[in-house]
Amino acid sequence: MSDERKVSQEMQCAFVDGELDRAEWARVAALLQQDEQLRAEVCDIRAVKDLVRHAYAPPAVARPGASRRTHWAAVAALCAVSVAAGWFARSAWLPGAVEVEHALTAGTSLREIAGDRILVHVSSSRRELIATALDEIEDALRSAQQRGHRLNVEIVANSTGLELLRADASQFPERLAALRATYPGFTLVACSQTIARLREKGVAVQLLPGVQVAPSALDQVVRRLQGGWAYVRT
Amino acid sequence: MGFTRLFGTSARLKTGIEAQRGALYRLAFAWCHDAALADDLVQETQLRALDRAAQLRDPARLKSWLCSILANALRDHYRRSRAFENVDDLDEAVLADPITPETASDSARLAARVRAEVARLPLGQRQVVTLVDLEGCSYAEVSAVLSVPIGTVMSRLCRARVALRARLLDAAPGSLRPELSSRKIRIVR
Repeated sequence: MSDERKVSQEMQCAFVDGELDRAEWARVAALLQQDEQLRAEVCDIRAVKDLVRHAYAPPAVARPGASRRTHWAAVAALCAVSVAAGWFARSAWLPGAVEVEHALTAGTSLREIAGDRILVHVSSSRRELIATALDEIEDALRSAQQRGHRLNVEIVANSTGLELLRADASQFPERLAALRATYPGFTLVACSQTIARLREKGVAVQLLPGVQVAPSALDQVVRRLQGGWAYVRT
Repeated sequence: MGFTRLFGTSARLKTGIEAQRGALYRLAFAWCHDAALADDLVQETQLRALDRAAQLRDPARLKSWLCSILANALRDHYRRSRAFENVDDLDEAVLADPITPETASDSARLAARVRAEVARLPLGQRQVVTLVDLEGCSYAEVSAVLSVPIGTVMSRLCRARVALRARLLDAAPGSLRPELSSRKIRIVR
């Protein structure tokens, strides 16, 4: 590591942990766009952070409060796909970690979800669905900020939902940019398999600024669930 | 412990302390890697918390308050066990972890591998990285819990992650990086 690095390792950690103020965060986020090595390093820090979380994942503990609906069919399906993946399948903690799933429909609010980390999975390009999701996300982020709490919300997009994060196709580019600029805890992740499939079909996929790429959406969902995030499907 | 004071403790606080049990155990285990000791430390922490309930001015700080009691309980344990001539050396203590990746069953192989590397971190780094990653504590909270300056929190965290990255992601053979990136999962809608 050279001493002239623009972003120190401590700064990278602070970025990943959401500890930077808005100006610093914006500076690092901009550098991430241009600097592949920095991107790889930040990605490694995230991976290490997730590995530590997974290594001490607690057994299933029923958490009180907040209206929660447990969709065991969805849990079973996630586990089944994980079995196919092979890697998570051998991990004893999976059923405990994957305990809650919320479905974002009319009448449910992200604000009702306990916890400070929410993963919103977008797998459809239906405009009204996405508009509702963005409204809910903005509402939850604003409400947390007003209460002085830090809320992390991550959108992970795949299938036709990837459209939301594509510079060449998104219906809400300004809205996402505004949310990112206002709330450091708001992040966007695209599924690399969906991108690869689109590129195979000849689509020149360009992602919006600040969008990170995960090996797959499911991968990201499972990792977040294991990391204690609440999972919301649009 | 003063039972009169215990009876005076609000039911809400008692419920709050009990609700943190799982998180405290996980943290205690991550610090000492000893299930029985972790259990003892959590009990000790809960008892001390109930006994000193009056010290908690702001209920929103319950979790970090409990974490700092746990950190003190661990420190006291090491002090009592006379494992260290000088408790200031504690921060540099590493664990002899009996669970090695080689002996772990397949079902826990990955988690054990990561825990083995966390165990190799000096206690000061292990506490910071687990408070941040497992408990989601802010740097300021960690600073308060462990009574160290924020700069120390940041440098310990950074050194811990650099070490973990080198041992888990960069080390060959045995790097987890290929496993992390080569998983092929199809999303079926």
